[in-house]
Amino acid sequence: MSEAMAARRTVSVTVNGVAHERVIDARLTLVDFLRGELGMTGTHVGCEHGLCGACTVLLDGQAVRSCILLAVQADGAAITTVEGLATGGQLHPIQEAFMEAHGLQCGFCTPGFLMAVTELLEGTPDPTEDEIRDVLGGNLCRCTGYEAILASVKLAAAKLRALRGTVAGDG
Amino acid sequence: MVEFPQSIDDLPTSMPRWVGQPIPRVEDRSLLTGQTEFVDNITLPGMLHCAIVRSPYAHARIKSVDVSAAAKVPGVVAIVTGEDARRETRPIYTAPPGWGGNCLAADKVRFAGEPVAALAATSRYIAEDAAELIEVEYEPLEVVTDAEASVREGAPLLFEERGTNVMYQRKFVWGDVDAAFAAADHVVTERFRWHRVGANPMETFGVVSQWDPIEGTLTCRGSFQVQGFSATGAAATFGIPLNKVRFIAQPHGGSFGGKGGQRGTTITTMLSRKSGGRPVKWIEDRIEYLSAGGGQAWDRHYEASLALTKDGRMTGLRVRLLDDLGGSAEGYGAIGAAKPLASFTGCYTIEAAEYDLTIAATNKLPCSAYRGMGPPPHNMVLEQLVDIAARELRVDPAELRRRNFIPKDAFPYVIPSGNEYDSGDYEATLDAALALADYAGLRARQDEARRDGRLFGIGVVSTIEPGVFNSNVYSLVGFPGGTAQPEGVTLGIDLFGTITARVGFAHEGQGQHTVISQIVADYFGVEPDRVRVVVQDSMNAPPGYGPGGSRLGVAVSAATLGAADRLKDKLIRVAAKLMEANPAEVELMDGKLRIKGTTGAEMPIGQVAATMLTRSDLLPDDMEPNPQATYVWTAPGRTMPDESGRVKSYLTAANACHVVAVEIDRQTGEVRIDKYAIADDCGTRLNPAIVAGMTQGGLAQGVAAALLEEYVYDENGQLLTSTFMDYLLPTIYEVPIPDKTEIVTPSPFTPLGAKGMGEAAIHTAPAAIVSAINDALAPFGLRATETPVTPNRLWKLLQQAKG
Repeated sequence: MSEAMAARRTVSVTVNGVAHERVIDARLTLVDFLRGELGMTGTHVGCEHGLCGACTVLLDGQAVRSCILLAVQADGAAITTVEGLATGGQLHPIQEAFMEAHGLQCGFCTPGFLMAVTELLEGTPDPTEDEIRDVLGGNLCRCTGYEAILASVKLAAAKLRALRGTVAGDG
Repeated sequence: MVEFPQSIDDLPTSMPRWVGQPIPRVEDRSLLTGQTEFVDNITLPGMLHCAIVRSPYAHARIKSVDVSAAAKVPGVVAIVTGEDARRETRPIYTAPPGWGGNCLAADKVRFAGEPVAALAATSRYIAEDAAELIEVEYEPLEVVTDAEASVREGAPLLFEERGTNVMYQRKFVWGDVDAAFAAADHVVTERFRWHRVGANPMETFGVVSQWDPIEGTLTCRGSFQVQGFSATGAAATFGIPLNKVRFIAQPHGGSFGGKGGQRGTTITTMLSRKSGGRPVKWIEDRIEYLSAGGGQAWDRHYEASLALTKDGRMTGLRVRLLDDLGGSAEGYGAIGAAKPLASFTGCYTIEAAEYDLTIAATNKLPCSAYRGMGPPPHNMVLEQLVDIAARELRVDPAELRRRNFIPKDAFPYVIPSGNEYDSGDYEATLDAALALADYAGLRARQDEARRDGRLFGIGVVSTIEPGVFNSNVYSLVGFPGGTAQPEGVTLGIDLFGTITARVGFAHEGQGQHTVISQIVADYFGVEPDRVRVVVQDSMNAPPGYGPGGSRLGVAVSAATLGAADRLKDKLIRVAAKLMEANPAEVELMDGKLRIKGTTGAEMPIGQVAATMLTRSDLLPDDMEPNPQATYVWTAPGRTMPDESGRVKSYLTAANACHVVAVEIDRQTGEVRIDKYAIADDCGTRLNPAIVAGMTQGGLAQGVAAALLEEYVYDENGQLLTSTFMDYLLPTIYEVPIPDKTEIVTPSPFTPLGAKGMGEAAIHTAPAAIVSAINDALAPFGLRATETPVTPNRLWKLLQQAKG
């Protein structure tokens, strides 16, 4: 281990709206920081080499692989994890859609899919199937064969559009 | 005597609301919010983290192991080596005697990645640092990675004391095979090579082991697919009583049979014991999983022949299989060579068959179980022979299959290898798939493509999925197996009238907890959210095995119904006393006990249960205050193998027909799936959405086995596909989304008529895709016989057509 990697660093991040500060080894990965230091174990580790996408979180709104980022690289950032989707015991519409459309089986890869889809639907409320596939193509699922995930995302987009329509209508 | 409802309509409800419906799963809210406790989420006080030192050589003698530098690293608490393993443990329990080593190699290593030492430290980071400082001196030995070479005289021996690399050899003969072939008008023969593929669940194996030095007990929390079996193995490995071993199956992120974990469990237990009882966690990383875990299966060399009459009746099948099991038998990969006996002759009335089976050791990772457990390659071979015959006889491949199907009125039907199929209508499934795919339209498109010089092919394949595995058939290859394969459920109603089902298997992805909730909800007339399924550990659960071999949906629904029947009987006796009626006059209907056929006097189940728990003075004299009941189910009528290996093994026979059209890019050899249609029959569908999910998931794995996935070793036994950059799991871009339809022939052998279907389309898809490819290649006289049919392999083949 090099001295630089052994060095201790202070990292300050906001996770799901809550500020955290820790002094950590510089070599600590972001996913190990979230899971080990902050106890937020909803983000899963599937491959540790950036391929499977199970560890996907939003870093300042952008979907990233937290297994190939160091926690120090996230210093000062706002992070959203799967724990940040549901509020007050109520599933997020994207989570609801995955449940209704059977978009998960073992559920291990699911947090990563949810975060990637969250990013997609934030920026593209009415995605084409190609746009959805483009995002889902970055994550691996070994159980579902993707059919129900695709259906879940379409349903989620419709749910979110309906909600936004309601809000706009109310305004 | 427990009574099982034979169909959904027999449930004690005037209108079934839940069974048979695609209701959302009870498992999902926790999974979707990241709350489910996968093993890596567990942190225990004082917990240490394990890292494993692995052999860089595929075959070598261990000269020395020096742990002194690692021991000095601050934070390292315990180190164990092969010598410790030899002293403290028995060889890995899943290998037949003499064909497996200990969890850490002491004398020699037989595959690259085999563990030789391990340590526990205060963090995984420190553990990995220290593991790098363990010095192992090796004397490399000659390596054999090819099964055909390993069984030849003079090959380097993996287990020298055995004097051979042949782990198992037996020729099974059922019926007069020689006569069938002698009398045949046509015999087609071909050789096939199926390369290694494997499970790769998105969660690797993980375990937290804790040895209690005071009580002498062991507690392991892990992603165990079958916790009771694993606990038994651990007790045997350490020579301790089974009632001192508690295995806790955490919810886990998929398994597909290939979770592995025997070595990791033993290693962490040794480390916990050496560290004075601190819990030790090991989470396998993905490279460890790919190169040294439970993720490789089916490395097979086939030569097979099919005998036919001139009118296209199949009369005999010969299959010679050389199965490359790798560096030991510890992964129970040999089971995969035995399971084809459950459906050896597929959907056909072939009356004589022969299976010449050789299992060989090579310097590669020991093979494990994988979804399908052996028949997918066997089906690929059989179905290619059928296609070759169809071409030779100039008969449409769908028509040749139709001529040979077991007729729908012939069930139950015993196949030459002894298994009994429960029910089916293979012609209906075929017709449904052909209609769904517009087969005639596809053939018209093929004609057009061929006129344009394009390579367009169609595969039509029908297969059996044996369901409800029984280890009796596995006893043929040295696996400890009898005829009982118990699965237990305890049902109880509490003071508030809510119902708890206690089971001995964790959530793994197939949704069995949902299925239990559906059945209980309809049976006792409650909403599914009034039913809770609780997983019990190996000490507390009723006898049970868990998921495997398309078994649990049937087994657990039967156990649930058995427990429900017993609980109902108790409720009836209490209600009869309270209603001053004869128990024979009281029935359960829509969640209420009532006098048969009337709606006047009735008592809700919760009221009766609460009475049982609080008013012993109102109970029948011999009644315990216990509104709970347990039933342990096992498949009825199973037999041990006879002298020719014939055995009634799997209880159900689901059936599927896939019709697939592909187009091959002549320039690149790439296969594009143009059309995919599936018709399948798994009897009664307890939850159609779960069935659809299993089918699609099995399809993804089947397509990948046909086209993408392959573990590639070089001649030194080094794995070249040790990351997801090289081992190609399919993404959404590679998995077709087929049209699907269903045929339902309920099983007469199972409660509600369901058939096992968890393995699903992996049984059929590889065969169907290879058939389609070979249909496209047929005009050139070419044939793909090696899977996966990668662009590289296909391009090379196409070069032969260009001459």
